[in-house]
Amino acid sequence: MSLALFAQLELRDRENQPPSCVERNGFCPDWIADNWERYKTPLIEHIELTLISVAIGFVIAFSLALIAHRRRWLIPPITQITGILYTLPSVALFFLLLPLTGRGKTTAIIALVAYSLLIIFRNVITGLDEVPEEARDAGRGMGLTPRQLLWRVELPLALPAIMAGLRIAVTTTVGLTALVFLAGAGGLGEAIFADTQFRSNVVVAGGLCVVLAVVLDLTVLGVQKLITPWTRGVAT
Amino acid sequence: MSSINSAQSEGPSGYRQAVELEFAEATKRYPGTDSAAVDGLSLTVPAGEICVLVGPSGCGKTTAMRMVNRMIDISDGDILVGGKSVKHRNADELRREIGYVIQQIGLFPHRTIADNIATVPRLLGWSKAKINDRVHELLELIGLPSEMATRYPTQLSGGQRQRVGVARALAADPPLMLMDEPFGAIDPINRERLQSEFLRLQAEIRKTIVFVTHDIDEAIRMGDKIAILQVGGKLAQYASPSEILLHPANAFVEDFVGADRALKRLALLRVSDIPRDQLGTANGGPEIAHDTILRDALSDLLQHGELHGRVVDEHGTAIGSLTVETLARLAKA
Amino acid sequence: MSATFAALGEFGDAISFIFTERENQRGSPVGGAENLPLLWEHLKLTAAAMALALVIALPLGLVLGHTGRFSFLAISTSNVGRAVPSVALIALFIAFFPRSPEFLNVTLALALLAIPPILTNAYVGVRQTDRDAVDAARGMGLSGAQIIRQIELPLALPLIFGGIKTSTVNVIATATIAPLVGVVTLGDPLVAASVYGREGQIGASIIVAVLAILAEVGLSAVQRAVTPDGIKLARGPEDRARTRFGLSKRRIQTAP
Repeated sequence: MSLALFAQLELRDRENQPPSCVERNGFCPDWIADNWERYKTPLIEHIELTLISVAIGFVIAFSLALIAHRRRWLIPPITQITGILYTLPSVALFFLLLPLTGRGKTTAIIALVAYSLLIIFRNVITGLDEVPEEARDAGRGMGLTPRQLLWRVELPLALPAIMAGLRIAVTTTVGLTALVFLAGAGGLGEAIFADTQFRSNVVVAGGLCVVLAVVLDLTVLGVQKLITPWTRGVAT
Repeated sequence: MSSINSAQSEGPSGYRQAVELEFAEATKRYPGTDSAAVDGLSLTVPAGEICVLVGPSGCGKTTAMRMVNRMIDISDGDILVGGKSVKHRNADELRREIGYVIQQIGLFPHRTIADNIATVPRLLGWSKAKINDRVHELLELIGLPSEMATRYPTQLSGGQRQRVGVARALAADPPLMLMDEPFGAIDPINRERLQSEFLRLQAEIRKTIVFVTHDIDEAIRMGDKIAILQVGGKLAQYASPSEILLHPANAFVEDFVGADRALKRLALLRVSDIPRDQLGTANGGPEIAHDTILRDALSDLLQHGELHGRVVDEHGTAIGSLTVETLARLAKA
Repeated sequence: MSATFAALGEFGDAISFIFTERENQRGSPVGGAENLPLLWEHLKLTAAAMALALVIALPLGLVLGHTGRFSFLAISTSNVGRAVPSVALIALFIAFFPRSPEFLNVTLALALLAIPPILTNAYVGVRQTDRDAVDAARGMGLSGAQIIRQIELPLALPLIFGGIKTSTVNVIATATIAPLVGVVTLGDPLVAASVYGREGQIGASIIVAVLAILAEVGLSAVQRAVTPDGIKLARGPEDRARTRFGLSKRRIQTAP
């Protein structure tokens, strides 16, 4: 049998029995509807890791910024150290932490926190720096102590910049959490790489990452609008 | 091209001939608006004169100026520079022939003072040596030391930057200059100094100048002629400063010029402008130099509680008497 | 040599993996000079992706900035870029173009990842140049191209290199996961522990980390070098220190 004839026969055979959507690795709404459940655990892991990391990162970076706000000489060294942590590729950090914390969620969280520090720190500092001098002066003139000035004047006025930093931290962390499966910490990245050939899988797992990032971003934005009523009606 | 330019610009002795500027029913309408920003503006600025466009904000004075070098395109009518319509000229080439100074100066922060001044000569392809000569000539003209050439704009004071802005506009020796509130951002004391400096410079270079301001005092001081515009871009009056102070064309001009226009008129004249026969015989009172501005002479008399003063010439010789009565008549005249 | 490193525990083994070749459990050579092809692939991938991103993002950012149009596009591309995880992007290319070579797919995905920071920074860099200087330039008869070339580009260069730096570091980091889809970069030892062992995982991580930091430091130096003197003088010492640490340059991202 010649090769051409063989090919023809095979073609006819395929026409008789077309491969299913799943067999073709296609985008199959039916399959997605049936297999929705399998993304639940990765999604919850993803949310957990993101929120825990950003929360820890915020507490550390915010405290550092408050300290450095009064002792300005600390700004360059803190910026430099958090800058190195920011530059270190997270994937590399997962493995550099292996001898210290092994594989798992702890390692993942440390790496994610390390990445978020610079983003939050520099936004808090910039926000505080951009408080109008006259507002500070008026506060001092009315007899506010430095501590009162910080909490009642400077921080509220710096909130938009601080929240902007938080938004960036949240969205980037959602993206980076898609890598923590390399550290054995699960998340949606694990679901994506369970089958990169299968379009349905990639679209659903990847799409969930994007949706999660957008939802969290809008949540932070909503909170920001809620706690900074004086910025409403002003173009941002 | 460069050979023509070298013939045109040979330093203070050989300035390029200034040109006449004519607005001919020049009109600007922005799409989506009913009223014109500049409405049928017609006036002629003779070569070598300063024409000040003045008026309240929204009167279209800046728009009118910016139509000259086509920073804004004309909707209707025409503008003629040296008798030639600007409408059919290549905008970039046209602009290289017209000096341009704005209130914010707009020096290029990444270029040295020399490089800033050399901008247009470079566009015109002048030789390096010629550009270098020109830069130093201009620095001298605006009274900045040569070593400033290698500084950057941020290293200069506001007044120095403004002078550099003027030098940059003069670099290719344009026959016409456009100046939009050039001294607007300078403090009052330095502004007055820059104004007189510029008038001295203009006496030497004799450019045709369109000068935009919202300050009527500056207009009176700087202008050979003043064009007062009112909101809607209509020309209310175009005349010499003393004419505007003496005979305001309408209530708008009268109001814009202000209640103290009598004093402003006195500020335009010096004692030496009064014909000798109108000065009485000297008979005591405070001494008044013959080149005193009349407003200052009046202030002097009032301060001394005298009704007349003794006018003296440059040698200190008494040449007559100036009375408060004469001053009052001149202010009303 | 390995004796010295032994004192460092697992990190010592990892450093020794970087410099000395050895046989793995299956008897194939790994480590030492065997890392070079991986490094080469990593650099090739980074360079290809960055070149593609630059060719697209830089002219687009400059022109959008010059005309001032589509500011929404130029700014929001960064926000969107952050929300799409790099892994998902690579996986999407593999899933939807299964027939095209893996190297091409990963290059395209990484280029897409690298475009937003360059585009946004070029746009913002041009927009924030002193508009009065641009008006004066126009009034003196500089053409549009001359204004971009002589005024806007030099003044925007520090920010542009800030964007290039962000993208390069990001691409170097993300190229690490390329082996998951068949492009054998320095990430291979990370994802294939059975071949390279734990010392391979840690050792390759060290190389990737060093690579990223070198890119950051090197491009920061370039960024300082291209900042016009007249601009450096305008800044106070504190601001200058901040630029050195990438503070004020990256602040741009905070304006949504």
